[in-house]
Amino acid sequence: MVTNWVIEGIRSEVYVPVVPEPVFTPLTKDLKDCVVALVTAAGVHLKSQKPFNLAGDFSYREIPGDTPSSELMVTHGGYDNTDVNKDINCMFPIDRLRELAQEGFIRGVAKIHIGFMGGGGNTQKFTEETGPAIARLLKETGVDAAVLTAGCGTCHRSAVIVQRAIEREGIPTVIIAALPPVAKHQGAPRIVAPKVPIGANAGEPNNVNMQKAILKDALLALKSINRFGEVIELPYEYRARI
Amino acid sequence: MAISHENIERYFEEPAVVCCLTEAGTIIGPENLEEPEILPELQSGGFLQLPSNVLKIKEVLGKRLKKTLQPLTPVTPDLIEEELSSACKVEKQNIVSAFNTSEHNSPIRVSIGEGKNITFEIPTSLLQFFPQQHQVEEKEKIKRVLTLREYEIKKVQWADRISIQDGVLMLKKDIVNEISSIDPIVKKVSIDVIEPDKRDIFTNTILDVIPIATKVEGKIGEGITNILKGVVVILTGVDEDGVQIHEFGSCEGILSQKIKFGRPGCPDEDDIIIRVDVVIERRTGMERRGPYAAHKVCDVFIQQIREVLKTKSASEASSIKELVEVDKKGRPRVVIVKEIMGQGAMHDNIILPNEPCGVLGGRCNVDLGNVPVVLSSNEVLDGAIHALTCVGPATKETTRHYIREPLVELLRADNDLNLVGVVFVGSPQANQEKLYVSERLGMLIEAMGVEGAIVTTEGFGNNHIDFAWHIEQIGKRGIPVVGVTFAGVQGSLIVGNKYMDAMVELNKNEEGIESEILAENTLCPEDARRALAMLKTKMSGGKILPPFSKWDPAVIEKNQSLVDRV
Repeated sequence: MVTNWVIEGIRSEVYVPVVPEPVFTPLTKDLKDCVVALVTAAGVHLKSQKPFNLAGDFSYREIPGDTPSSELMVTHGGYDNTDVNKDINCMFPIDRLRELAQEGFIRGVAKIHIGFMGGGGNTQKFTEETGPAIARLLKETGVDAAVLTAGCGTCHRSAVIVQRAIEREGIPTVIIAALPPVAKHQGAPRIVAPKVPIGANAGEPNNVNMQKAILKDALLALKSINRFGEVIELPYEYRARI
Repeated sequence: MAISHENIERYFEEPAVVCCLTEAGTIIGPENLEEPEILPELQSGGFLQLPSNVLKIKEVLGKRLKKTLQPLTPVTPDLIEEELSSACKVEKQNIVSAFNTSEHNSPIRVSIGEGKNITFEIPTSLLQFFPQQHQVEEKEKIKRVLTLREYEIKKVQWADRISIQDGVLMLKKDIVNEISSIDPIVKKVSIDVIEPDKRDIFTNTILDVIPIATKVEGKIGEGITNILKGVVVILTGVDEDGVQIHEFGSCEGILSQKIKFGRPGCPDEDDIIIRVDVVIERRTGMERRGPYAAHKVCDVFIQQIREVLKTKSASEASSIKELVEVDKKGRPRVVIVKEIMGQGAMHDNIILPNEPCGVLGGRCNVDLGNVPVVLSSNEVLDGAIHALTCVGPATKETTRHYIREPLVELLRADNDLNLVGVVFVGSPQANQEKLYVSERLGMLIEAMGVEGAIVTTEGFGNNHIDFAWHIEQIGKRGIPVVGVTFAGVQGSLIVGNKYMDAMVELNKNEEGIESEILAENTLCPEDARRALAMLKTKMSGGKILPPFSKWDPAVIEKNQSLVDRV
């Protein structure tokens, strides 16, 4: 090989990240005694609330636990919205969570759930402000565990920043990840990974059985994962027709 | 990444760590050892701990492993057999010294007293000293020729019919009525002409920048193409509720402030702009059918101009260029991999339309399953990609970007290298599909037999997963690889691997963000020069210093000055 091609002193220009330090809170209660909150970076909010700024937004919206799913919508540019426009539960499985509470699988649905738009995501703001604020809010409202979802790649990053803040506050969490490599690399404490596209993390639109199975397995992972960063592959597959 | 044979002596004093799964019985060679420069980062990331008794590289070369070792295991005295047979060891040294002499014609004597399973490693760089039985034919071979006839336009006006005459493009007045009903999703179309000095006007967000070009003879990449110069189409739009057709950020506002004029993917400073503005059905802007309909209608409009442009003879052209694509035999084969989007909505590209930069006849990358598709560099520069364009305005690679792709232009012009093709690979929505596509890319690159690769991606975020995997697939095959992307602050990588050690940053925004100015952070000629320099440095075994932990414009400036000095 020709050696006069070498340019001495040239430096790689882009930092390649490493996994951050572990954060992990064990679930000490039984699931049937837990109040569970949904926290999504997928841009979910009430139709009556201010939409997110698609060019990056670190604010969040409080979604009351008794909100009918028909009053929810998505403002998020990082993934194809076809599925979530059909059925909000494929990113924000609030109806499935209520059903699991009615069945006694969990004790209850949190009073307040959280939606934000993680695409792009100012990591400093999410780390220093948004994450801790959401974590405190969940703590104050008596949440025992939280299930997270996220849309695009940077959105998974923002979701994991918030997830880590919640975990640090002492609330066990699990993320239903469509992009498990991002969740793992960013330091998510617990990850479940159904075989789904971004935009339908919690299962095919209007497929109640699949959505419920994914959510149930995610909740079970709160207990079964006892080591930081573990990924459980879930046996549910959905291919979007976009 | 394994150490190359040429580099091994530089690293004799460094710790020995196996790079890959290495089986018991292996005689350790450079290809089994991790490059020492990345060890500090692996240590700081918690991936590696070096025990105090780790051996130096010079102490393990030629030794036989007692146990099978997992990747990134430090080699300690208990893991290797004491000595090979002394005869073998001595002769190994003889080989090295023979190769180090300047007497290339002196014979290499290898005599082995006794021993079994002996492997000799001969650096490939030394093969040049051996007489070649089959001389490589150095002759260049022409693969295909494209004649590009350019027609300069100085004025665009409205008339009863379309014509191109004496530098004036006439557009048909009632064309809007003809094309408005082509797709039910498109509710309204407006077309206007914007002179270079009248750009202080409001614009909706820009979906694409599209050259006006048509085939006169042959297929895309060869034959004859007629193209208009001095005029370009921009496609803009909103939905019925006034929501901009965009995903991550939009660039509506005062036109003159929202475009980085002169970027490969933008209008140039003195271009006349024909603006096609569409209104699409409400809430379809983030579904695949919405933006696609907008592009389709715009293409029908451009096709009417193409039909007239097709009839223009060579004698009427203001300039004629020949793009000759050459197989530079005997020079290292290299490839460009361009990752494009494939997740629906605007995350899509149309590959090989019937007309240059067109829509009809092309295949959507999403429908192709995002698998790698090889194009020739001539095809790329002849408008083989129609970009439905992704992510924010600043990182969009528009349709015009591809016919002026700086990296493709630079590599095909470089006489040291043989650019064998440009691979387009999509970025699917689902994780397991990403893996599928990446693995196919790895096999394709392996089969292409290249000695170097540059991987680029537009946008940032989830596509960085595939981007990282593509680089890994190439790097783990021992092929030097360089990555090119926007990262800055907002797009900083979300995943990574050890093969991403030569990366070029496309950010040009002061705050390191996706700025909502069209093409601000896209690949420019200066970025292409840094990428090529990194590739050549890597291919010849040179060192690329590790990046700093945060985006730092000074690094890029320094690299640029080093590169441009050569």
